[in-house]
Amino acid sequence: MEIKILKNILDRNQDRADEVKKELHSRKVVMVNLISSPGAGKTTLLERTLEAIGNSLRIGVIEGDITTDRDARRLERFGIPIVVINTEGGCHLDSHSISKVLGLFDLDNIDLLFVENVGNLVCPAHFDLGEAFKVALVSTAEGDDKPAKYPMLFSEAKVVLLNKTDLIPYTNFRMEMFVSDLERINPHIPLIQLSCTTGEGLNEWTGWIRKAVARELSREDFS
Amino acid sequence: MHELAIAQELSYIVLRTADKEKLSAVSGVNVIFGRMIQVVPEIFEFAFRESVRDTIARDAKLQIDIIPVRVKCSECGGETDVDEMFIKCNYCHSRNVVLIQGKEIYIKSIEGE
Repeated sequence: MEIKILKNILDRNQDRADEVKKELHSRKVVMVNLISSPGAGKTTLLERTLEAIGNSLRIGVIEGDITTDRDARRLERFGIPIVVINTEGGCHLDSHSISKVLGLFDLDNIDLLFVENVGNLVCPAHFDLGEAFKVALVSTAEGDDKPAKYPMLFSEAKVVLLNKTDLIPYTNFRMEMFVSDLERINPHIPLIQLSCTTGEGLNEWTGWIRKAVARELSREDFS
Repeated sequence: MHELAIAQELSYIVLRTADKEKLSAVSGVNVIFGRMIQVVPEIFEFAFRESVRDTIARDAKLQIDIIPVRVKCSECGGETDVDEMFIKCNYCHSRNVVLIQGKEIYIKSIEGE
């Protein structure tokens, strides 16, 4: 006997993500899911972002790490609310893990909640956490083929940040290749080139994220 | 290894459905993945076996269908199965297209008695 089911296998994750999203909307918090490979510069990007706009936006961070709290310790000096989720081997965060820690934040005093996902370009792209949007971060040292090899992430993300542009002269990174692959996968996605070391392009990013937060908060379903 | 997390959720649905339908054994599980999900069938099979070990679905035959990424053109209305994930209409070459298939993570059905 065949029993037809036809449903999304990740329904339980999606249902919890919808609950998280609803809770964040009611508390007027914009959650951003930051996804990259290990070593692309997620934590450094958060450091530069906190230095630039940490005084004007109330920012919190959920640090997803397989093990250790090293990333969280790098952000301690900012005195912001940080919660660490150790996945103990898990290669991505899911909505259940986010839902469990949300109560540890004073959400009424947070505007922008960054989730630093586990370093991985594949798995995190498939699990909705209840975020407002995903940010894909890649670095030039990883090569120019990342959009072509990991299309799901670049198809899902709202913006792509290309970090470590100061290293381009020392790598075989071809900007034309990267840009044309990205355009073929997601023709309208904004690309911001930056270097967290030199500071190049950071203004463009902080301007973009400020506008994105304002745009999200003005949406009708944020109430 | 998103295969493992997907397989665990799949086994939850399979066993719950089997329980509801009062099956004594599950003989088949049929799933559909869009190509953009990048599931590796061999890894998924392994992850699924681990997830249903010691359950009434342990001998179930797993059928995995990978379906192509498909876009619908907003200019000419044509539908194209795209290769290499490069999103473009095959008929009028417009890039003004909407993705209509390719991100599925579905369970289609189960079989059993």
